[in-house]
Amino acid sequence: MVYVLTYFILVSDEYWIKKNNPVIYNENIMTSNKLTEVANSHTETIISIKNISKTFGGINALSDVSFSLRGGEVHALVGENGAGKSTLIKIITGAYSSDQGFININGIEYENLHPAQARHLGISAVYQEFNLLPDMSVAENIFLTNPPLSPLGLINIRKRSEQTCQLLERLGAHNNIDPKEFVKNLTVGEQQIVEIAKALAIDAHILIMDEPSAVLPSRDLDRLFDVVRVLRDEGRGIIYISHRLNEIFELADRVTVLKDGKTMGTNNVSETNRDDLVRLMVGRELTEMYPPADNAQGKTLVKVNDLCIENVVYDINFELKEGEILGLAGLGGCGRTSIARALVGLADIDCGEIFYFGEKEKMTPALAAQAGIVLIPEDRKAHGLILDQSNRFNVTLPNLSRLEQWKMIFKKNELAPVLKAMEELKVRPQTPELDSGSLSGGNQQKIVLAKWLMVQPKIVVFDEPTRGIDVGAKAEIYQLIRKIAKQGVGIIIASSELPELLGMSDRILVLHEGRMAGELSRSEADEEKIMRLATAADSVEIPN
Amino acid sequence: MTLFSKANTNNVSLRSIWQSAFIRNNAPVLLIYIFILFLVFIGSIYSDRFLTASNMVNILRQSIVLGLLAIGQTAVLLTGGMDISQEMVARLVGLTVATIFAAFDSNPAMILPLILLGVVLGVFIGGLNGLLITQTHAAPFIITFGVAFILRGLNLAISSTPIRGIPSAYLEVYSAKIGIVPVNVIVMGLVWLLAWVFTTRTLLGRRIFAVGGSERIAELSAIRVKGTVVRAYIISSIFAALAGLFLLARTGVGDPSAAEGMTFQAIVASAIGAISLYGGRGSIFGTLGGVILLTLLGNFFNLMQVNIYFQQLLLGVIVLIAVAGYKSKRLGAL
Repeated sequence: MVYVLTYFILVSDEYWIKKNNPVIYNENIMTSNKLTEVANSHTETIISIKNISKTFGGINALSDVSFSLRGGEVHALVGENGAGKSTLIKIITGAYSSDQGFININGIEYENLHPAQARHLGISAVYQEFNLLPDMSVAENIFLTNPPLSPLGLINIRKRSEQTCQLLERLGAHNNIDPKEFVKNLTVGEQQIVEIAKALAIDAHILIMDEPSAVLPSRDLDRLFDVVRVLRDEGRGIIYISHRLNEIFELADRVTVLKDGKTMGTNNVSETNRDDLVRLMVGRELTEMYPPADNAQGKTLVKVNDLCIENVVYDINFELKEGEILGLAGLGGCGRTSIARALVGLADIDCGEIFYFGEKEKMTPALAAQAGIVLIPEDRKAHGLILDQSNRFNVTLPNLSRLEQWKMIFKKNELAPVLKAMEELKVRPQTPELDSGSLSGGNQQKIVLAKWLMVQPKIVVFDEPTRGIDVGAKAEIYQLIRKIAKQGVGIIIASSELPELLGMSDRILVLHEGRMAGELSRSEADEEKIMRLATAADSVEIPN
Repeated sequence: MTLFSKANTNNVSLRSIWQSAFIRNNAPVLLIYIFILFLVFIGSIYSDRFLTASNMVNILRQSIVLGLLAIGQTAVLLTGGMDISQEMVARLVGLTVATIFAAFDSNPAMILPLILLGVVLGVFIGGLNGLLITQTHAAPFIITFGVAFILRGLNLAISSTPIRGIPSAYLEVYSAKIGIVPVNVIVMGLVWLLAWVFTTRTLLGRRIFAVGGSERIAELSAIRVKGTVVRAYIISSIFAALAGLFLLARTGVGDPSAAEGMTFQAIVASAIGAISLYGGRGSIFGTLGGVILLTLLGNFFNLMQVNIYFQQLLLGVIVLIAVAGYKSKRLGAL
């Protein structure tokens, strides 16, 4: 039944593409499963992006970006979080459409690509989150959308196994991965190879790898590099995104740096060095957005001793004092969020201990809320607000037990504090009955803050406090953070935005792959130092 | 919202009506009441006997069983769950109470203790449903379906033939009247009012909405999710038990086929009333509208002597139209 359905879907899919893009379709048929032609494209430019711009709600995600990829090349793409790497990738794979500019593939100019079109042009992406079906076999996953068919139109299972073996052999993984094994029984590294094989099964010439090393344990890295080199030697072009500069120098031929949605330059890897790259990635003026640091520090609120969470963070030690703002810096996947979550009891701690107000405690979310330890989460939609409920409902939620009267919640009791909080935080529009989902990102974040400030917290952990928020609301949130710090609340800011950390923190802890890479005081910290520690650009003696 | 205000820039009055938060937030519920009025209007044209005081009161009384079940079902639906076992609970309570009445020679002194027993049975089964769901993390549909099957077997074990011997005083539950208005209709009105207070004003009601909106966020907001869910299923079963007790008074016998198909109708009534089947969204007035609409339709079809098979077909079409209509309106929110 499923197979029949899949077949019909396939047929209709091909029909659609054939009908709409006859040229592309024929090209694809010509090249599919023929590796010989690919080899000829060595050193020729196979895709070039010209002057692409993209704005989201008035914010420039990309402005005037150009980029090119040759066959047989590993082209690294680097830049801070929010520099525009993912936007660029999504435009290449057809997930977003650009506002301006062209994509030139094999000499044909496209204004925008449709996702199916991009796939048929041989563009394939391997994301950090794999698109694999865990309860299907390796072979089924690799040939999910284009299985070899028998003359009757049924899936030719024998041929599929053979082709799977061939693909895996090319990737040097035929000894480790059984085509019949369920994907869920494979290691992360093996799953990644299956994902790459999937791209090969549709004969992708342009392979985009989004931080492929971030999900891998270090012992699997060499195998990944070997696979990437195999693909390169076959003449395919690989766009390799990574935060780890070491890898770029080991693997890549060229490197392009993005900053604030602009290309800062493309260089041959052999002609550049780490310092140059770091300098290109960072370096922004601190604006007047940040209020002056005039908060005094009191006694210790939290003390973290040798905290570790398996496979995420190891041996974390720090203290937080009353009125102190502590920054947690590091690249994506360095464990910032996990530490933030562990503090409010949302992550299981494997070893080490956390002392709250001098007492050792095993935290749970409910206990944390009662004790005044709150997390302002990174993902507002999943952890912050129920978007199709009113602002009043959302703000009141953690405060219900304080507002209740005979087990009932009366509007007259809850409306006044909600209104007061919304006024204090300058939420616009100031309507408690409006659904939170209809507010802008900045105002939604203010509602999350209102919700938790009403608890009268003693410790506030911010995870990406200003993600997706416009500049005006950002400044207001910074002022608010400073204000509550002045009232003696201890604050932790885990953020990927260096200017924010530098502008707000009294002290910055830098993490590298789950370990403390260093600690910088307000006076000694700058973007370059943080970036060096975070990328482990040079080995640093760990303080403490 | 903005789409609408842009489309109506010329028509200021329509625009301002839409901008009133009350209309906007309650559009689906208002729509269903408009549809009810429309149906009453059509009915009064086609039949003289439709828009009469006695028929209207009759409809209200007919709606009681469905109303009780739907209130309980709404509490569960709001948590994002579903209670398939309702009709079996109603039947079990009816049969158990009838059996004990018969054993005590229809003694009227047993009425109050047995009503209490019925409610306790409801609490017990609801608690079982809730605990099984929160402890196994299985889909509520499957768990309550399993419990429904157990209860079905239990019911057949108690009796497969109607049980006589209900004291006549108990039948007053169904027949007592003040003027032409049955007492039970007035009581049911109060129950609806209480249900409204419960969903909008109580701590538990608020928690049920929060859990249905997002278990994650509710948990982070120091709400005990499991406790809230268990309580919702207890509420559902208590109302099912009350429905069983009411049916017993209506039929006058312990009926081993009582409430057949009513669970599904209760879910449909809630869904027509714009209670989100994903949980966390809806108003008890919507459920009331759904209950009245379904009862009204049944009554209307009977008066019009519509073929029973065709009735089912029409009902199905109406359900699909209603639910599809809400869905497309709320695409953005979902």
